[in-house]
Amino acid sequence: MGRVRFGDSPWREAEVAGHFSRTSLMTDTLPGTSIDPTLPLRAKAGDRQAFAQLVDLLYPRSLRFALHMVGNREDAEEAVQDTFVRVYHHLGQFRDDARFEPWLFRILANRCRSLVEKRRRHTTVIQYGDVPDRGGPPGTETERDWTEEVYRILATLPLEQKEAFLLRHVEDMAYEEIAAVTGVGLSALRMRVKRACDVLRARLSEVIRDE
Amino acid sequence: MSREVDRLIERVRSTLREAPEAVPDPRLVAQLLSAVWASPKPSMLRRWLDAWRVPAFSAVTATVVAGLALFAGFVTRGVIGERPAPEPLAASGPQTGEFPVQFAAATTIDEAAPVLTQFVLNDAKAERVSLVGDFNDWSGAATPLTRLDSGVWTVSVPLPAGRQVYAFLIDGTFLTADPRAPKSGDADYGREGSVVMVFPR
Repeated sequence: MGRVRFGDSPWREAEVAGHFSRTSLMTDTLPGTSIDPTLPLRAKAGDRQAFAQLVDLLYPRSLRFALHMVGNREDAEEAVQDTFVRVYHHLGQFRDDARFEPWLFRILANRCRSLVEKRRRHTTVIQYGDVPDRGGPPGTETERDWTEEVYRILATLPLEQKEAFLLRHVEDMAYEEIAAVTGVGLSALRMRVKRACDVLRARLSEVIRDE
Repeated sequence: MSREVDRLIERVRSTLREAPEAVPDPRLVAQLLSAVWASPKPSMLRRWLDAWRVPAFSAVTATVVAGLALFAGFVTRGVIGERPAPEPLAASGPQTGEFPVQFAAATTIDEAAPVLTQFVLNDAKAERVSLVGDFNDWSGAATPLTRLDSGVWTVSVPLPAGRQVYAFLIDGTFLTADPRAPKSGDADYGREGSVVMVFPR
């Protein structure tokens, strides 16, 4: 491809040519589904296109996890961006026989924990039950009440319980994978998830009774 | 636990999975990639620390280490021990030492320094896209964009400060302005390009 000569290449409106599709751009990777295992290896070998595909595939899950962990969009985006920058520069340490998602989520979970701790140190007053502004959920009033209550309870869970619950029940990870992410033993993880479930059950049962 | 309670956790899980505020803006991925490509590689020490997780110091160890560091600092600066003789001051005339010059340079905006500028095009049907403009002599081969799976094309290029006119070359044939940017207003070749103002840092 050489220098563009305008006389030879007439301008065309891209929309007329069928470009600029307006469909959704994001391709959400469903929890539990695995990415192509060759992608991380290609990225590790310096293939930028492969790394871009990894980001494209795993960004939605990463953002969702970070959002539920830190409670606001701005911090969540920061955590995810920091994570992918670190992943990119440390790809050389990724073991060829390892699974990529637990490795990514280990770094992401660390970033989220650090951000939450940082915010705690710099926030003077957090009232019990306050939920960071995440925008109002859509739906009927009953659905909104339910969603807000879920967020509220999630915000009050101890961080380690919230993390274990999200990885197990929202990201659908096996306990062995969560252990790789958090560095915590299996029995302790099961206990964390159980305690989080117990709190959610106890407090949400009241909401259901009111519905 | 009863079936009813399990259904409750299942409902929580659906609520959190489908959280609408967690749906990302597609352009975030392109921005993130630009940040990744532009990020400096961490130092060897940083990577070593990341890899080996240096164990946390106890409070006592940290205090001892801090005390030793302070002592070493005082000795070096002459607070403890023999104080080195001060340098004689210049009698008159402008100071030509290094520090004032470096400080001034660090706080002055460098008009000539290129600024990393990101370009994004949403075109799922394109097979290849290039960025063309005065900055690359309108060369269709100089600045190819990277395609994400979502159909978003992106590239970040260092540009000199000032007004830059550009366009996208799609599949080597279609030359089109950026649909998200203001038009240049000067249709040198029959159609307008797009314009971006690059501000010095």
